[in-house]
Amino acid sequence: MADAKPRLKVPKEAKKGEVIELKTLIAHVMETGLRKDASGKIVPRKIINKFTCEFNGKPVFSADLEPAVAANPYLQFNAKVEESGTFKFTWVDDDGTVTATEEKITVA
Amino acid sequence: METRKRNTAIMFAAAALIAIVGGVTLFPMHAPAQAKKQAPLALDGAASVTPWKRYAGWPTRDESMFNTLAKLASPPAPKEARKVPDGITGDAANGEKLVADRSRGGSCLACHVMGPAGKADLPGNVGPDLSEIGNAGRDDEWLFNYVNDARVYNPETVMPPWGTHHLFNDQEIMDIVAFLKTLKAPAKFRSVLDDPMKRPAPVETRDNLDDLQNPGMWTIDRAKDLWKAKGPTGQSCASCHASEAALKTWAAGMPKWEPRLNKVLGVEEFVYRHAKATTGESWLMQSDENTALAVYLRFLANGQPIKVDITSPGAKQAYERGKALSGRKLGQLNFACTDCHDKSKAGLKWIRGQWLGEQRGQYDHFPTWRTSLQTVWDIRKRFQWCQVNIRADELPPDAKEYGDLELYLASANAGLKMNVPGIRH
Repeated sequence: MADAKPRLKVPKEAKKGEVIELKTLIAHVMETGLRKDASGKIVPRKIINKFTCEFNGKPVFSADLEPAVAANPYLQFNAKVEESGTFKFTWVDDDGTVTATEEKITVA
Repeated sequence: METRKRNTAIMFAAAALIAIVGGVTLFPMHAPAQAKKQAPLALDGAASVTPWKRYAGWPTRDESMFNTLAKLASPPAPKEARKVPDGITGDAANGEKLVADRSRGGSCLACHVMGPAGKADLPGNVGPDLSEIGNAGRDDEWLFNYVNDARVYNPETVMPPWGTHHLFNDQEIMDIVAFLKTLKAPAKFRSVLDDPMKRPAPVETRDNLDDLQNPGMWTIDRAKDLWKAKGPTGQSCASCHASEAALKTWAAGMPKWEPRLNKVLGVEEFVYRHAKATTGESWLMQSDENTALAVYLRFLANGQPIKVDITSPGAKQAYERGKALSGRKLGQLNFACTDCHDKSKAGLKWIRGQWLGEQRGQYDHFPTWRTSLQTVWDIRKRFQWCQVNIRADELPPDAKEYGDLELYLASANAGLKMNVPGIRH
């Protein structure tokens, strides 16, 4: 499941000034770094440690994630939209991998 | 040999193409009135890893001295109670530890409330509350034999034969008896959730078809890619199945008796044998590809009532075998499917903090996402885990016994609407 693409729910259209709901989810093990494997060795930490959402290049929402966050982190938040444009969502892994995806919205 | 197999596969694929050109459907369910064209199947060999190797991370216990779905091996039940003199000398403190020891077959608390044992932490209610058994006037012989092998008093019991099946030795059973005699007051629960008689039955409220709630849905993207990908023969699923809509009811009629193989085929084994014969892919059962397609084919039939054939001669016999197997005592814990899942026995009760569902309701959502394991399990893997969990050796996923059992289970779920992939803990 590790390489499944991020899931997004972003409205395609909105009215000017409307507060819309955005839902995001990425497939990730969110290994805490506290568990031991069968041989007693610590399973190394590997989590998504940062999530950001930008709209037309301006920050909308960001979160620092900690090991207590469950696998496949799901984030839901709201944003007020004044103009048409593009949401950019970014997930940063402990190992430096950055997963980014975009979604357009038309504001009437 | 390989070349011959390949040629056969190409011939099957060619036959399939001719069938399409000729306007004859490949799937009997689609046009029952027409002369039925059988789906090509690779009939040789196993459909899963051979020899079967238990999944990594599962218990490695060898339970070969006990019954499985394929063989009878368990020691016989004793004919009569053992003579035990009154005044058993046991260590009650050790007994209290043993009844809560989960490494010894789940612990007594899995099924019984036992006063202060295990701090009354999430006991089950399959068996009676033993918190006041010390007042019941039972003699030592009765208590010893009930723990050792309750079948001497009640042949219908679901209680594991702890002594006969070597889970506890005589001294340990005497320690347990000594502890039982100390139980004289109702259990004190720290919370209402610890009391199995008051604990509310779990309700699944997640939307299993929402891909933000159920990662099992992600396998469908995978399956759609696999559907279009050409296999070694140059064919893909899409080469013959131009429209997935034609498969709208197919999976609801599975599993199915297959005379060419003399066994019941579930969706997963069908995927392996049909792909092998057409696209040339070798998607063994329990491979990611096989599971993805099994999810997808059932997903296409979502909303359709489960309706399996149990009346044609081969199917009727398979159903009867499956029904008999569901009542067979398996493994060191000596449980039959029906012991845990019939409401006349342990069904709709708590085993520890886990709710035992009935057979009906245990099929319509498979394959299902397992939240606790972050993976999809098909019904065969669920069967296998049931067995390993009750300390029985599992069979390979393509075992004919699982086919019989799956047919019986599917018929117990007849009429329920397909709802795949499910989501469960």
